[in-house]
Amino acid sequence: MNQIQLPLGMRDLILEECERKRMLQHKLENVFESYGYKEIMTPCIEFHNLYQTAFGTLEDEEIFKFFDQEGKILSLRTDMTVPIARVCATKFNTKEGPFRFRYSSNVYKVRQSFGGKRSEVMDCGIECIGLDSSCDIEVLNLAILVMEEIGAKYTLEIGNTNFFKSACKALQMDKESTARLADLIDRKSMVELKQFVQKLKLSPNAKEFFIQLPWMTGGQEALDMARELSFSTSLLEEVNKLQKLYNDLQALGYKDVITFDLGKVPHLDYYTGIIFGGYVEGVGVSVLSGGRYDKLLSKFGRDLPAIGFSVKIDYCIDVVKCEEKKTVKIYYPKNRMVEALQKANELRKECTVELIEAMCAEVEVA
Amino acid sequence: MSLSIALTKGRLQKQTIAMLEECGYGVESVKNPGRALVFQDSNKDINYFLVKSHDCITYVEHGVADIGVVGKDTLLEGGKDYYEMLDLEIGKCKFIVATYKGEDIFSKVGHIKIGTKYPSVAQNYFLSKGLDVEIIKIDGSVELAPILGLCDGIVDIMETGTTLKENGLVVLDTVCDISARVIVNKAAFKLKKQEVMAVLNDLERIVKQNASRN
Repeated sequence: MNQIQLPLGMRDLILEECERKRMLQHKLENVFESYGYKEIMTPCIEFHNLYQTAFGTLEDEEIFKFFDQEGKILSLRTDMTVPIARVCATKFNTKEGPFRFRYSSNVYKVRQSFGGKRSEVMDCGIECIGLDSSCDIEVLNLAILVMEEIGAKYTLEIGNTNFFKSACKALQMDKESTARLADLIDRKSMVELKQFVQKLKLSPNAKEFFIQLPWMTGGQEALDMARELSFSTSLLEEVNKLQKLYNDLQALGYKDVITFDLGKVPHLDYYTGIIFGGYVEGVGVSVLSGGRYDKLLSKFGRDLPAIGFSVKIDYCIDVVKCEEKKTVKIYYPKNRMVEALQKANELRKECTVELIEAMCAEVEVA
Repeated sequence: MSLSIALTKGRLQKQTIAMLEECGYGVESVKNPGRALVFQDSNKDINYFLVKSHDCITYVEHGVADIGVVGKDTLLEGGKDYYEMLDLEIGKCKFIVATYKGEDIFSKVGHIKIGTKYPSVAQNYFLSKGLDVEIIKIDGSVELAPILGLCDGIVDIMETGTTLKENGLVVLDTVCDISARVIVNKAAFKLKKQEVMAVLNDLERIVKQNASRN
């Protein structure tokens, strides 16, 4: 049988799809460039160990794995943040930060069979390494500009993993309960969450706090609710930090596109501060995701705070609109080809030109 | 903004639609579906469609449906990329472990085989008990498998227990309770929060009302 099938989760892009993808990619790259982010390219293949070092716990089934000649396990990169952290820690060790890096590269994940999800997508994003949370606003501002470029109605949603973490810390919750709680809250699994919290030995205030955490969503009302249910000063401090961020973003004119979700608490070992996601109308998953990850670089031997985000460009292809490009056709008789080529070269400075040999007397432009 | 709701066909269908009707939604057309697949609410800007339980999750994960109503049994077996926001407290039943009378898989020495329609549920349950068992996937009439000697026990849904009893099977343990849940697409919860919350609040009101009636 002829091999005509693609592996699971892979897609061919054709014609306008490529055009829309490249257009969006260039737009984003220009925005990143205007902020002083410099491009980094890393290989598709990394040692599997790299991800083990970076994440500690990792969803191994999601990584494409194979072996090199010596039997070492290799993987296709699943993101660009970890490779860039590796590059920054090992290739820039004599340089002082801060570092601003950008990338547009394909990343890979193994997907569940026949789920209709993509195994290969292009991540277009930035990492800002060496600056602490005082630069969060700059990165959020950039994320909003990027969402604008996609050109559809959108929301940028901000959370803060420290809010949840400091609640658990204040209550001296053990690691296992914290992980289970985070998972239930992050998935807004309200039924199981309630059952689980009721079983914990906590004060009624604290129980109410965790049960309500997934509902702390929206604009100012989310922060008001968070403030009201906070049971310690460290929690209030986190709310105040978010309030400050919100005030600044409002002053920049972004009130209508910003929302909060304090129940957004994925990958607690990885994220160390704010975390955010961008959603556009017409796409059922988040197209932009990012957050602060101050501990990652130290795993590669250089202790630097960092924040970054990326856009899954392929998810946006269907909502991006291309500008109409002008195309003209030049018809020419066989013996006037040189003249036709000259004419075409001239016109191509302004538009796309198609050359067509025809049964006509003169070179005609249509 | 318009909402799409995926409803699970079969066991949950009637009760779910009754709840929506009590909310004051215009679900007349869904009640008599005929051959149609998509139904427009006669009061609100909502589309309904009837799908099989596993497909309900798929539609919601992809954002084709903003909201889905589906049994916890299906959720436990499928993906996890959605918010699970409300228990409708209908379609209640249980996951149980059962064996042929006189057998006790928990004290059996040696290899244990479990027949089930729900491999993930069975696997997770036995792992939590510290037991390593072999799961055999069976598509229907799971009660038959231990009787014919295909496996030592089963993990299955039990509503009343009559079928089990009639086939000489006894329940050894409850794995967990099951009922219909409302799941929400993550992006829809951000982009259409008001509309989604309205549906959730309406349904929650009916859940409470039903609870106080019983």
